[in-house]
Amino acid sequence: MVAEPVAPDVQPLADIDQVIHASARLMILTYLYVVESADAVFLKNMTGLTWGNLSTHLSKLEEAGYVTIDKGFRGKKPQTTIRLTGQGREAFQVYRQRIRQVFDDLPE
Amino acid sequence: MSQEISLKEAERKAFRATYNDGLWDVLIGSFVLILAVAPLLSDRLGDFWSSVIFLPFWGLVYLAISLLRKHVVAPRIGAVQFSRARRTKLTRFTLVMVVANILALTLGIAALVFTGMRGGPTLLVLFGLVWLVAFGLAGYLLDISRFYVYGLLLAIAPLVGEWLYNNAGATHHGFPITYGFVAGVMILVGVVLFIRLLVQTSPQAGDGLPGEG
Repeated sequence: MVAEPVAPDVQPLADIDQVIHASARLMILTYLYVVESADAVFLKNMTGLTWGNLSTHLSKLEEAGYVTIDKGFRGKKPQTTIRLTGQGREAFQVYRQRIRQVFDDLPE
Repeated sequence: MSQEISLKEAERKAFRATYNDGLWDVLIGSFVLILAVAPLLSDRLGDFWSSVIFLPFWGLVYLAISLLRKHVVAPRIGAVQFSRARRTKLTRFTLVMVVANILALTLGIAALVFTGMRGGPTLLVLFGLVWLVAFGLAGYLLDISRFYVYGLLLAIAPLVGEWLYNNAGATHHGFPITYGFVAGVMILVGVVLFIRLLVQTSPQAGDGLPGEG
């Protein structure tokens, strides 16, 4: 039996998308939400993540269907372009809504 | 979470990261330089050729900036495609600068034709206002606050120049001094920002992600 939440107003927190909620992935998605596409170098600079971390989090976001990762070349150098999918955009909007819903109602 | 997530601020930060390399300042500074150097050159080459001679100079500056963006800046800060709203703002910025240049040129020609190089306070104020409005709009559209300062400097430059001409014996209405100063400030700020970028970032040989995701 599931216990009744003490404060029902925070119930939306339980439904928060855990793929987005990790701070590194949230940073990545925030930047992808406000631009059309970005390459990995740009995302690394903006988020301050290491290559290893960026790669791991991008893979998780790709698995969830939130981003597309296109590998190509710019001249002779490899370039990875990342773009938010429609599903990712929608998930991010729902995430914002849920977070706002909880924190807007909290007393100061 | 100690800081509110501001999507607007994130977008601004992304934009500034891309366009705050100082190269805008150098480019615009090199445009302003004509107002300082052309009056000096016009003594030898005439009004027309003293202006035309700047076209290859601007072409070279533009080419150098494009190459620096491609080979030095892009490998350091990466590539990003901005939203449609931001791209519209950039188009508006370009239009504002084109209109401002045409207006400034028209006013300059009007000064030559109607006043025989004497200008006049009204024309100088108008000339200054064009710069102020143009750079004010550019600062707003590009989210680069130092453009407001540039606008102010450019707006007072003709007035200070005229004062120097009348009171301190400066030649050519003081334009070589005042516009030369403003162009120098712009180019210097641009160079400092560019060097800062070089110091703070390192070029990435491609990206560090694994070959296959």
